[in-house]
Amino acid sequence: MTLSTRKGTVNIVEVNRHDNNIHAGQGTLKGLDIVFRKFRKALFGKANTERDDTEGQFNVQYPEERLVLAEAYRNMPILLYDDATGQELCTSCFQCERVCPPQVIHITQAKHPETGKPVPAAAEFVLEYDTCMSCGYCAEVCPFDAIKMDHDFELSTADHPALDVHYTHLLRPVSYYEAIAPTMWAEVRDAALKKLQNNIKRRPGNIGVDHGQKIAGKSSAAAPKAATPAAGAAGRKQYTGPIAKVGTSMSEDKLARLMAIREANTGKRGGPPESGAHAIEADVATNAAGQVAPSDQATSGSAASKATGPVAAPGKNMSEDKLARLMAIREANKAKQGE
Amino acid sequence: MLKTEELQVNIGPQHPSTHGVFRMLVTVDGETLVDLKPVFGYLHRNHEQLGEVNSYLQNMPFTDRLDYFNSMVNNHAYARAVEQLAGIEVPERAQYIRVIMDELSRILNHASALGFLLGDMGAWQTSLLWGLREREKILDLFEYVSGARMMCNYSRFGGVARDIDDYFISEVKKLMQGLPRYFDEFERLLVENEILLVRAKGVGVLPKELALSYSVTGPLLRGSGVPYDVRKAEPYAVYDRFDFDIPVGTVGDVYDRFLVRVEEMRQSYRILEQALQQMPEAEGGHINPKVKQQSLKPPVGESYARVESPKGELGFYLVSDGSGSAYRYKVRAPSFINLSALADMCKGYKIADVVVILGSIDIVMGEVDR
Amino acid sequence: MLTKGELRSILSTEMPAALDQRWAEHAATAEEGHGEENKPVLQQDDAVVNAEHLPAVAHFLRDTFGYEYLSNITAVDYLDFDMIEVVYQFYHIDEPADVRVRVRVGRNPEACVIPSLTPTWPGANLQEREAYDMYGIDFPGHPNLARVYMWDEFTGFPLRKDFPKTGDKYTHVTGAE
Repeated sequence: MTLSTRKGTVNIVEVNRHDNNIHAGQGTLKGLDIVFRKFRKALFGKANTERDDTEGQFNVQYPEERLVLAEAYRNMPILLYDDATGQELCTSCFQCERVCPPQVIHITQAKHPETGKPVPAAAEFVLEYDTCMSCGYCAEVCPFDAIKMDHDFELSTADHPALDVHYTHLLRPVSYYEAIAPTMWAEVRDAALKKLQNNIKRRPGNIGVDHGQKIAGKSSAAAPKAATPAAGAAGRKQYTGPIAKVGTSMSEDKLARLMAIREANTGKRGGPPESGAHAIEADVATNAAGQVAPSDQATSGSAASKATGPVAAPGKNMSEDKLARLMAIREANKAKQGE
Repeated sequence: MLKTEELQVNIGPQHPSTHGVFRMLVTVDGETLVDLKPVFGYLHRNHEQLGEVNSYLQNMPFTDRLDYFNSMVNNHAYARAVEQLAGIEVPERAQYIRVIMDELSRILNHASALGFLLGDMGAWQTSLLWGLREREKILDLFEYVSGARMMCNYSRFGGVARDIDDYFISEVKKLMQGLPRYFDEFERLLVENEILLVRAKGVGVLPKELALSYSVTGPLLRGSGVPYDVRKAEPYAVYDRFDFDIPVGTVGDVYDRFLVRVEEMRQSYRILEQALQQMPEAEGGHINPKVKQQSLKPPVGESYARVESPKGELGFYLVSDGSGSAYRYKVRAPSFINLSALADMCKGYKIADVVVILGSIDIVMGEVDR
Repeated sequence: MLTKGELRSILSTEMPAALDQRWAEHAATAEEGHGEENKPVLQQDDAVVNAEHLPAVAHFLRDTFGYEYLSNITAVDYLDFDMIEVVYQFYHIDEPADVRVRVRVGRNPEACVIPSLTPTWPGANLQEREAYDMYGIDFPGHPNLARVYMWDEFTGFPLRKDFPKTGDKYTHVTGAE
């Protein structure tokens, strides 16, 4: 149907309401036919990641299997340093701090130790990961290509203050970024490194590298992360390409934790039914112990405690009275089942 | 006769069918609905004041959070309003890219909206995932080009953030090979399904005149038989170059809205086809290089720009005082205004129909509450 | 059909009482300070009508010219002029451009009153409630003029320019005049 208006004609299609069709379940049967066909394909067909197909098994079994991320994928900002010299690319020009919409970037500029004049390097760089909205403006405006968006999205933690990420944990080597976004880095590499050379000349002593040395000495936060994505980078060219194998884009400690969770789960399924009660009793003990030295648990023990038994630790994050109530309920239930 | 008593029931705010944190204070007489009061604001974050504090560019990622299903369309609308205010020209190629993103958004929004609607009708997970599968494929493409699946933050003043490459275009074409089959399957699966017909036909009728006076837009208005589409009424970007139809309903019930959405996906497919065909000849790059994005200071004045978002007419009203941030920033959110018709549409129907009617409006609370 | 500013000239012959003439001089002085930053300028080319004549003008616009779709209601607080402006945008179904009708009222509670359009355009319901919630504009004739975003006990109108943007929003009660 065409409707003519003052501006011209507008084509209109009136939707077909199927008012004249006789219905006695044929419509439903027709639909069920499709559902069953799809079900069969999904059950016996091959795994399917093709974009033009509408049938087959589309599921990706995260976290063992994972899709390859796009190069442009942005999650949280990181800072780059030069692999060879350890010189940081950031010059604390405050562009990112100014553009940041939720204002989560806080930079302190480095000062010359003798003259006190500002030096093109950052003394401290704090990023509030918990408030960051991952818009990517900081990476976009940075004239020195020092701040880039990371691909690591498994950031969940129970330790909230740790999400105010400081310089030492923001730094990644250039090779790490090159591994996750090769073409995007290739576009800016020459200009960025040239600018860095100019800035190094104006940096006295150790300013601009001391954070990098810390990282290299620790080798826990950045080093394994730098190594793993390089392995996955081979398959990165093909964006839709096949799903990466277990752990190819995972850091080693995360993989270890995953495996521990696996084992704990299988052990729990196979274990005797009354083991749950024992676990709680054992947990009360650990909980009490944890309360004597809570700071110790918060700092060093958070990762380790997670790895040991994720399911068997109901008392970990509970207050004492809640735990007591839970225990009472459990006891009552047990008694009921026994009767 | 038995004397009946009216009863007040709260549906929500935490309810799987309310599409977010939304409360409906319902007065029922038996099963029949007598009155309905929408109560919301649980997600209110004073978005409009943020717009007055932030610079123009800083506000772009916040518009993603309005209708989080279609951040591409939100970005487009906001960028248009600022471009109009500052008199920025947009290169042709950027216009085409925006149109492609808008139409992909429309397909993904309608696919998932229909899935959610069927979920509200009680078809538990199958139909929802049916819609979400196509959405997922499109979101992957968005992620490839913009860096994020939902919070795309893709438009800039005078263009878009990154150019699309051949790989993206080939993937869109690949996706489009599967789409007609998907639409056919969707129709075969559901359009004549008796359960759907019983739940949707003659339910939530919104007559033509009432729809207009209620200022509703989008599939809700077209379902009521008014052929009003901003893409036709006030062609923005390059929409005047495409040949597409406006689907309209005849009765204005839930079923009509359902059918209009299915047909709109087909029309979006047509626009995509034409846009991809015409784009290689488009002039200019993906962005106008002269625009100072970060320190944009539009001249004193005001502007209102609207686009046809999948939910309806999405408009941004901006008043500039010549400084780096807007003096007044107002969002004409389609979900918010479409919601005003809810009470009238629901009156007289059964309480179980309320959920279906709400699903057929297709609201997003991020946009309603702002 | 109606070009920008045309409604103004039509109204001046058809309904001269409806036009609000108070702001012409304000706009003229503001025009001089054009280059000055942080001073918004009042728009003059649209019809500025008196609050009490708004329903009459809106009906005139709808019945005579067919602008039946009330799209958007925006309130803007012009603190410099001690005035709140409410912009009503009407569309014709076949026309691309809108017609804007402006109402300018004072900021104090006695003056901040505009008759509601909800009886004729029920779509204005939530938008008027929003304007009440955020700017404290009273709309007599509205069936349920309650806060729509903020909680009912909240005092103050958050989008007014003199509402403090910093400080604890839960203890700092202000803006209620």
